[in-house]
Amino acid sequence: MSDTVFEDGVNSKEQPSEWRVYSVSEITREIKLHLENQFPGLWIEGEISNLKRHASGHLYFSLKDQDAQIACVMWRGRNASLRFQPQDGMKILALGDVTLYERQGKYQLDVAVLRPSGVGDLQMAFEALKKKLAAEGLFDANRKRPIPVFPERIGVVTSSTGAALQDIVSVTRRRFPSVQLILRPVKVQGPGAAEDIAEAIREFNAFRRVDVLIVGRGGGSMEDLWAFNEETVARAVSASGIPVISAVGHEIDFSICDFVADLRAPTPSAAAELAVPDRNELAQTLAAWKNQMARSLLERVRRPMDRIRVFQRSYAFRRPRDMIRERKLELDDLFRRCETLVDRKIQGFKADQNKHLEKLKALNPEAVLQRGYSITTRMRDGKVVNGCDDLSVDESVRIRFFRGSVKSRIETIESG
Amino acid sequence: MTAAKIKTMTFEEAFQKLESIVETLEKGESSLEDSMKLFEEGMELSRFCASKLNDAEKKLLRLVKNDDKDFQLELME
Repeated sequence: MSDTVFEDGVNSKEQPSEWRVYSVSEITREIKLHLENQFPGLWIEGEISNLKRHASGHLYFSLKDQDAQIACVMWRGRNASLRFQPQDGMKILALGDVTLYERQGKYQLDVAVLRPSGVGDLQMAFEALKKKLAAEGLFDANRKRPIPVFPERIGVVTSSTGAALQDIVSVTRRRFPSVQLILRPVKVQGPGAAEDIAEAIREFNAFRRVDVLIVGRGGGSMEDLWAFNEETVARAVSASGIPVISAVGHEIDFSICDFVADLRAPTPSAAAELAVPDRNELAQTLAAWKNQMARSLLERVRRPMDRIRVFQRSYAFRRPRDMIRERKLELDDLFRRCETLVDRKIQGFKADQNKHLEKLKALNPEAVLQRGYSITTRMRDGKVVNGCDDLSVDESVRIRFFRGSVKSRIETIESG
Repeated sequence: MTAAKIKTMTFEEAFQKLESIVETLEKGESSLEDSMKLFEEGMELSRFCASKLNDAEKKLLRLVKNDDKDFQLELME
């Protein structure tokens, strides 16, 4: 008895009539259903071989490892957006569906997403995308939006569990605690991370009520950081109406996200320092400004006073004073001269007076009387007698001598 | 600008207005009356900004998108 049922078709114990007999199409259909249901969408890692690009633009290749290979196709529509050139020997990750092509009786991977998986290949992909986006102008300096100086609300796109969030929160609390932080948590590495990050950025833009975004994560290998080198993230950052600060990894890590963003921060802490002002510094500035305003005002008030003083000292202002002083001096001079003249006149009068006094003294009747002469006056009317015709016999007269006086009667009138 | 109007400004608006007042006063070209008015306004703005610096710390919030495209903010911690 043969071991297998099929060794000798003629001698086989089983009869075709006992089995379900499939057509080729039927069995192929069954296999297809089973296969495609079992492996609808998965990531496969392998090495590219037998890469061919058809004139149609479709990409055909095999993914292999040491023990097996699987045929792949990447349609033109999907491979057009590849930012690296797949090559034989490249280690890659492919996302796709397993499909069976009935006509050919072959199964293959219908590739939707292709990514390099080795570091060297990552570097190549990085350079290629960088070149492509730079050529589109996405990195241009004049596209960069200014980061607001005093944001009231900051959107944060990072993992809810990483150190990046902790750093951002603690720096913000230290510098300006009343700034509102809003987190939209994302996967920061692994499959789907890039899409999640891009979606988060779009959500903030739909929400609108934040002044700036910080997008990033803590340090890691190039593979860990890879999501931030994906085109989908770059495009979301570029399209963001809200300014974006990129903070991916450590100081030495540069990502595509960094280049497209409006500002690059070397770390998430640095991003918070760039976004959030320091309230102590602001307090100092406010104090300095208060002093400056007070000084300026004082200066402003003083200036009219100074100008008045300067004016007072000016020649034009002093001229009337000088003129008054001159006139005063003139007046004083005149007064002095007056005084001198008056003095002289008085002296003159005094001298004349003395002369007259001497003269008078000489003419003094007393002096005459002293010489023996007498003054005779008529008793009846006091008239001074200077002739005998002034008198009649028996008339009374008074005779005044130098010493005393007598009363007498006229005896005889002698000649005239 | 009245004190009431200043209270409706954002910190940024008040801070920038204050800076320009400081510069204007420094130039010393305004009339004495204007200078005094500017000084008063400047001091009011300065008080407002200083008070904003002392505002309370805010809690971390999370952005949540509803199915119908609305957004909500939830407390994180």
